[in-house]
Amino acid sequence: MSAHSATGIAVHRRPSLLKRLVASDHLAGWVFVAPAVILIAVFAIIPIGWSLLLSLQANNLIAPAHYVGLANYRALTKDAAFRSAIGHTVVYTVIFVPVSVAGALALAVALNRKIRGIRFYRLAVFVPLVTSTVATGIIFLWLLDPTFGLVNYVLHLVGIPQQQFLQDPNQALYCIVAMTVWSWLGFDVIIYLAALQGIPGDLLEASEMDGAGKWSTFRSIVLPLLGPATLFIVVWSTINALQLFDEIYVTTRGGPLESTTVIVYYLYQQAFQFFNGGYGAAIAYVLFVAILIVTLLQLWVGRRRVYYTS
Amino acid sequence: MKRLILLPLLAVTLALAACGSSGSNGSSSGSSGPAPAGGSKNGHTTITVWQGDTETEAAGFKKLVAEFNQTHPNITVVSQFYGNSDYALQKVLAAIAGGKPPDISYLYGSWAPNIATNPQLATLNKFIDADPSFDWNDFFPAERKVATVGNKIIGIPALVDNLALVYNKTLFKQAGIPLPTANWTWSQFEAAAIKLTNPAKKQFGWAYVNDASEDTVWRFWAMLWQAGGSILSPDGKQAGFDSSAGIKALTLLQQLTQHHAIYLDDGSDNYLSVFNNGHIGMLWTGPWDLAQIVQSKVDYGVTILPADENHQTISGPDNWVMFNNGAAREQAAWTFLKWLTSPAIDLQWVTLTGDLPVRASVAKLPGYKKYVAKYPGVGVWAANLNNATQARPQSTKYPKISTAIGQAVQSVLLGKASPKDALNQASQQVNGILAAPG
Repeated sequence: MSAHSATGIAVHRRPSLLKRLVASDHLAGWVFVAPAVILIAVFAIIPIGWSLLLSLQANNLIAPAHYVGLANYRALTKDAAFRSAIGHTVVYTVIFVPVSVAGALALAVALNRKIRGIRFYRLAVFVPLVTSTVATGIIFLWLLDPTFGLVNYVLHLVGIPQQQFLQDPNQALYCIVAMTVWSWLGFDVIIYLAALQGIPGDLLEASEMDGAGKWSTFRSIVLPLLGPATLFIVVWSTINALQLFDEIYVTTRGGPLESTTVIVYYLYQQAFQFFNGGYGAAIAYVLFVAILIVTLLQLWVGRRRVYYTS
Repeated sequence: MKRLILLPLLAVTLALAACGSSGSNGSSSGSSGPAPAGGSKNGHTTITVWQGDTETEAAGFKKLVAEFNQTHPNITVVSQFYGNSDYALQKVLAAIAGGKPPDISYLYGSWAPNIATNPQLATLNKFIDADPSFDWNDFFPAERKVATVGNKIIGIPALVDNLALVYNKTLFKQAGIPLPTANWTWSQFEAAAIKLTNPAKKQFGWAYVNDASEDTVWRFWAMLWQAGGSILSPDGKQAGFDSSAGIKALTLLQQLTQHHAIYLDDGSDNYLSVFNNGHIGMLWTGPWDLAQIVQSKVDYGVTILPADENHQTISGPDNWVMFNNGAAREQAAWTFLKWLTSPAIDLQWVTLTGDLPVRASVAKLPGYKKYVAKYPGVGVWAANLNNATQARPQSTKYPKISTAIGQAVQSVLLGKASPKDALNQASQQVNGILAAPG
């Protein structure tokens, strides 16, 4: 930028900070993101700081708290119930993420075709996502009811004995996987559908002209181009899976025999049923750090293996 | 997205609670700030009551509050709906943290020992001691026990219920067995439950809530007491349920499950619709299910629970808890609660809602017969309050104890443990919980 002085000599001066700010793209950028930043600060960053403080206290959330240093964290290392909650969460995540990614990919490919009634099929896949968790929970409780449930009725027709499903400690967690895959698949499918439609037609045409079959086109062209979408879905699903709570809360409440007590449910129990607020915060903090590490790891692996077009 | 919101929200709640616990000393009077409404000016006091009543009860409460405000020109009661009572504690805690708790809140009895640790809670001994006309002993023993922590009275009984035996007369006739009576024993109950069971017709003799929550546990306490057992040792320092009475109670459950005579409810209270559709012979339940049973047209009867050594039942009273927002408001809150729980107003309330009276003397009022006639069967529950002689331990550790017992009962119901092993393990856990500091 230049300014002309009265003498007519052009001088180049640094404009004032304010002017620079107003003129720069940064300000506009910050203004645009401000609402989101403020929300994240209030509902994420401040609570993250507070819960760190809380995790260093003995606090029943009712009476005045006192500082206990790392005692809550030390207790966590000896807590067998916490260890088994970690176990359940890991088992859930390890099944939930691959199943939902593979399922969503298959469905998205199936839905990415020009067939009659495609809008209806797409809607059908999306509906579970917008169904409230409570409604989903009640539907599955009735479907999987050992005595009166539809699923056992169908199994009975094909000669399979009655199953206890959510009331069997050995089956409940897998039923939760099935239920959550059903209710969350729609989101992943949308991401995949968008990515599939973003694949340039000329690339597919070129591979067809080079004599590639459907499968090898899918493997060598489509799948690599879906890389960024897959990375996003894996990271997103993992974060969600590690924070599983609502679906447990409205169905099994951690049971039977604590077989579906996942980390966040255990946190809830400690903080709001047993009045161990500080301990609950320590669990939240451990989970927060674990999720951070897992996510960074996934992104690091992803960056090296995912092919970005731009 | 639904799920992502949860963690930060939990953290915010925790953080809010943390901010408050260091600050506010509770002397703030309502005139200094906004909600909850309240204040004292020129001899006129406004107080806020938080409650979670819905439908019939909400309409009834509104009516009573209007009546109070009309008859007490110096006090205005503002009633605020706080949503489902299950979540009341979190909201009250947040309000305390914000320095503006309500003057009165409806809170579950099981929270009493923990809420008693809050410095802003108003203890009621001074009001009760100074006012013989209030007649504290007119409240049922189980209610008084739940409202008392140590020697502090922390609330006034707001609602009381208990378990009685509800049975489907049609199923009893079909099975050709005589109807239950008030003199029934466990063995008669067990035999009937087995006879009423018919897997081909998906018919069960009995139902049990099997989600390992307090709903699982309190039914077991009733059985334990019936068999002459007790929850803790007399000094309260050790588990007491690991006894022959405890084994007897769990064995009854075990035998009935082995006969597939129990419909195991997963905690979503489906048992009620299954009963209302004629698939369950007997329920142990409270007056809260009565309205829907009446609607279902099941030909039902109500009697007290069967006895092993006695016919004890368990009662789950809830409290009106007062918070200290200055002397004037505290006095006004007390005036309202005294009025609300007085025998005449209580009778008016139960006649409107079908709830049970919180005071024994209500049964002596002339209008009582009309109330019993309006809700067939409710008289059995009301009288059954006299069988609720014991209460759960008033301890901040009770939620943990309950969880250990819930697991024990559930493991027997699912056939994963014998009564003896299950109780043994639970009692070791409970002894550990009781020995731990805090």
